[in-house]
Amino acid sequence: MDNMIELRDINKTYPGAVPLHVLKGINLDVRKGELVSIMGASGSGKSTLLNILGILDNYDSGEYRLNGTLIKDLSENKSAEFRNKMIGFVFQSFNLINYKDAMENVALPLFYQGVSRKKRNALAMEQLDKMGLADWAHHLPSEMSGGQKQRVAIARAMITNPDIILADEPTGALDSKTSADVMEIFRKLNEDEGKTIVIVTHDPGVAEQTDRLIRISDGLIVPDNKVVIPEEQEVTKTPNS
Amino acid sequence: MVLDLFREISQTLGHNKVRTALTGIAVTWGIFMLIVLLSFARGITNSFDYRMASRNTESMTIWSGTTTIPYKGNRDGRRIKMKQHDIVTIKERNPESVVEVTSKISGNGKISSEKGSVSNGYTGSYPDGLSKSFNSELIAGRFINQKDMDEKAKVMVLPEYFAKQLFPPEGADAVGKRVNCNFLSFLIVGVYSSRWDRTIFIPFTTAAMMQPDNQDYGMISVDLKGLKNEEDALNAEKKVRNTLAVNHNFDPDDNNAVYINNYFTSALQTKKAMGILDMCVWVLGILTLLSGIVGISNIMFVTVKERTHEIGIRRAIGAKPSKILTQIITESIAITLIFGYIGIFLGTVVTQVIATLMGNNEVFRNPTVSMTIALEVTFVLILAGTVAGLFPALKALKVKPVEALRDE
Repeated sequence: MDNMIELRDINKTYPGAVPLHVLKGINLDVRKGELVSIMGASGSGKSTLLNILGILDNYDSGEYRLNGTLIKDLSENKSAEFRNKMIGFVFQSFNLINYKDAMENVALPLFYQGVSRKKRNALAMEQLDKMGLADWAHHLPSEMSGGQKQRVAIARAMITNPDIILADEPTGALDSKTSADVMEIFRKLNEDEGKTIVIVTHDPGVAEQTDRLIRISDGLIVPDNKVVIPEEQEVTKTPNS
Repeated sequence: MVLDLFREISQTLGHNKVRTALTGIAVTWGIFMLIVLLSFARGITNSFDYRMASRNTESMTIWSGTTTIPYKGNRDGRRIKMKQHDIVTIKERNPESVVEVTSKISGNGKISSEKGSVSNGYTGSYPDGLSKSFNSELIAGRFINQKDMDEKAKVMVLPEYFAKQLFPPEGADAVGKRVNCNFLSFLIVGVYSSRWDRTIFIPFTTAAMMQPDNQDYGMISVDLKGLKNEEDALNAEKKVRNTLAVNHNFDPDDNNAVYINNYFTSALQTKKAMGILDMCVWVLGILTLLSGIVGISNIMFVTVKERTHEIGIRRAIGAKPSKILTQIITESIAITLIFGYIGIFLGTVVTQVIATLMGNNEVFRNPTVSMTIALEVTFVLILAGTVAGLFPALKALKVKPVEALRDE
């Protein structure tokens, strides 16, 4: 078993007056230690797929295995526990808690594991040091640049030593120079520590730096596993419902 | 873990100081009112307790009355005259509940010293006579004792008021001096001070000897024992009444033949009234506090709303719903407790100031906030905080972790 992620015929429909069939049978494998990117126009089901991968949302039918564990119909407590231990999130808008300093933000996932304050702060400092932010440990997010904030967020994602890192538009709010720095960090985590990383992005430049590009369109995976930069990114955009 | 929770709370509360403070004032005010009212009620209760303590509650006083029911050939309207025989038989026939039966004999007479005289009469009293006189305290010498009783000694205890008239200027000097009363010489053995009582005490036996024809007692005091509840007290009262009914041939159900003041039952009734007063104060205080609770609840709703995104982030990185619930409720309890304790502090200060200014008078005695009250109020505060935080916390529970992905 060397697949980190196994999606088998995943279907998801949002109920409503007009039910919205968003995922129409997704099949996807991501191997351990792979660095992949997911691209797709808005409305393609990309966000929903990310929510399911991140155990933030349920799916209707199919099977999702994360590192061999079946993720299906979990209770709120169980899914919180799995998110905490198996997944590290990196968000576009960093999602740091604005009244906590860098160290406290990084240590927060361990707080929910019941790790003692002393121990989790020490581990947080270690992660910050890796990101080259040891001197910024006691600064609030508002006192840091976008690149620094995203590095704090990556440190927070890494602190529980998760099975995968899920990054949602991690460079969306950063300039090109900083984007390159952040991508460099992801590549390093992937190469040096063998971390499995899934990056959802709009940016072809970002997708180019990953091992494999997964394209999603209209609720299905486009069967093209090579890194190809789509030229008509904006044209394929389907009308949003 | 508890310390962690406190750090979390202090961080979030520090975030919106002015708003939190303004909301908290309502709680402070509610608790302040509760504390002040409670301590006032306590002051009134203390004053009653104090008066009660100066009297043996396991006792009763019997006053002679007039029959209102015809009985065994005796017509109604008959005056009951209690005699020495009654004093003896009440004790003899009710050994299980009666400890001692005493009475007073009053006599007329002029009491004179070399410096002055008073015409107030005297009272023949048992050794416990002074303890039955309300708020009276011996200030010099001693009171009548059993030896005086046995020897029919010619000794006298004066109120300070008359002691000053008979032996000016200082009443206390009277002890050891002699006075004349109805051609007999009495030794002053004690002087007492009282706000109202001006009885001149001599031993009961001495008074009985001075007027052998007067065997008619208007009042008899009965000391009781072993009273545990109201039923015991009423039973003892009934038995004593029956004894007198047999002696004087009146209907045992005729409550006007003799009047009985049962101190045990009246003490119980007073206690009950004090309990009701206390309860009213709690109800008032808690109603005042209610507006504070609503305020806290309101502000917690706003906080939850403002922090929807943050709660989403916390959920996404692994906070279980119970953690979110605990955090919101603990925050609510923390706000309520902090401002509640400010209220307790202010209330205590104000109460102390009032206590110092007014001192101890008849209606008010030592109106302080006891440890029990502080504990009870703490319990009320924690309960209030929980109630205030419950609904906002339940709202916070509805925040899905997907919120974290939504842009601010």
